[in-house]
Amino acid sequence: MPSPRTIESAAAALRAGEVTSVELTGEALERIGALDARLGAFIAVNEAGAMQHAERADADLAAGVDRGPLQGIPFGIKDILATHDQPTTANSLILDPAWGEGYDAVVTERVRASGAVIMGKLVLSEFALGTPDEEKPFPIPRNPWRLDRTPGGSSSGTGIAVSTGMVLAGLGTDTGGSVRFPAAYCGHTGLKVTYGRVPKWGCVPLGYTLDSIGPMARSAHDCGAVLNVIAGHDPRDPTASAEPTEDYLDGVDAGVAGLRIGVPRAYFFDHEDLDPEVGAATEAVIEALAGLGAEVVEVELPHSDIAKDANTLTMLSEAFAYHRMDMASERWTEYGKGARIMIGRAALYSAADYIQAQRFRSWYAKQAARVMGDVDALVVPMTPEPAPEYPPPDMNRRLTMPSYAGPFNLLGYPAIALPAGFSSELGLPLSAQIVGAPFAEALLVRMGHAYQQATDWHLQVPPDDAPGGEEAQGLSTG
Amino acid sequence: MPVPDNVEATVRALIDAAGLPVSDEEFESLVAGYPALRELTDRLYIEEVRYEEPVLIFTPLPPVRE
Repeated sequence: MPSPRTIESAAAALRAGEVTSVELTGEALERIGALDARLGAFIAVNEAGAMQHAERADADLAAGVDRGPLQGIPFGIKDILATHDQPTTANSLILDPAWGEGYDAVVTERVRASGAVIMGKLVLSEFALGTPDEEKPFPIPRNPWRLDRTPGGSSSGTGIAVSTGMVLAGLGTDTGGSVRFPAAYCGHTGLKVTYGRVPKWGCVPLGYTLDSIGPMARSAHDCGAVLNVIAGHDPRDPTASAEPTEDYLDGVDAGVAGLRIGVPRAYFFDHEDLDPEVGAATEAVIEALAGLGAEVVEVELPHSDIAKDANTLTMLSEAFAYHRMDMASERWTEYGKGARIMIGRAALYSAADYIQAQRFRSWYAKQAARVMGDVDALVVPMTPEPAPEYPPPDMNRRLTMPSYAGPFNLLGYPAIALPAGFSSELGLPLSAQIVGAPFAEALLVRMGHAYQQATDWHLQVPPDDAPGGEEAQGLSTG
Repeated sequence: MPVPDNVEATVRALIDAAGLPVSDEEFESLVAGYPALRELTDRLYIEEVRYEEPVLIFTPLPPVRE
């Protein structure tokens, strides 16, 4: 079976005259036509607009106008980011249709300027937090490897679309793992960026002090190509960092020899809910990086279990402040079942609890800075288990399950989720993450690329006739 | 703060104070999850954090947006 297309390979083929953007876009539309009704990746496909953009990309390339590797590449936008030519819903009946009308988010502006072909708006968990609700008029996203499993959230549609080749890359947002979970469960790469690295203006907020917008693509290399387009300060976002950007693909082939990798065992590797196969896959990533010349040392990042809870409390409390006026009204049931109960749960916290979470955050940031002063990166499991069943049997389980994503949102650190194998019983993707110091995205892309040069987990594509449909029959895709 | 004896009354008071029109089923779910939520939240109050400043930083200068 030939390798699936990547931005890297498609961009080279475009410039070699082996394919056109119109052909790439046609391939993507074929995939959408064949799979989207089952998988529920798109809220809205912009077929006409995509073809226009593809024709423009081809014409520009033919005229010698080269805007970089995203030019002519089929690309998806999570429907929480404003696009001037399509409505933005946040996957919710609540969001005012006037929000986002007629303008682009900063990241959408930048993706358009890169010449990428925007295929449409991608499904997400409601307001980047809820769960699919079959009573609402939005598609039910399904894991492309097994339909009765979750594709992960909240950037579910981007995960599905990248995994299946409906797009070659897309944007997700990550407040507690929402880029990395779908990347992990759908079997591709996802880069959660440093807080402030990518401007959020034009993105519906979830957790003001946690939200980030990041690339989702098949490979680490492709995530670097997307980050080159979307990173950098914009004055419309007061939380956007003025820290200089860099070329995130510069030095991508430099390898990992001589880098020091820290492995925090407590919580990340010894939790009773960690699936042994996920643990083993992460150990294999560490061994692979060591085999490529990295030095591995054990480190201690204390109270990371509490960091997960501090992140949850912060996220829910900030979200509740945004949503309370709508929630404390007759509009309560316009929210999906999952979103309203999860966000509404924040009413059970106190203001002192929120402040205490921010005090803990200060302390935890000092611990993390100490650890990162001694190593270049951390390697930990991405999720405690492969994609769990959908719908979840117990919503309260999310409270007590470990999260290996949340602590790094609390810190604002960048982290890249990398495919690392498949579960033995159901063939579900497994994933590990590499975590870096603030603004170390280039290093994470480089490390992920080195790992992916030695493995091919990221190049695996789910079958078009994925199993599990019988169990999922009760859920319409809307 | 220990989990209160009367979880139902505590959750009812907090939900009513927030004005959330939850259904009976939703209320039961919130009650079922409350002991774990309270326990996990109380773990934030550890000795190491006793003298930490929160990460919130206020500036009297107006935000610069454009």
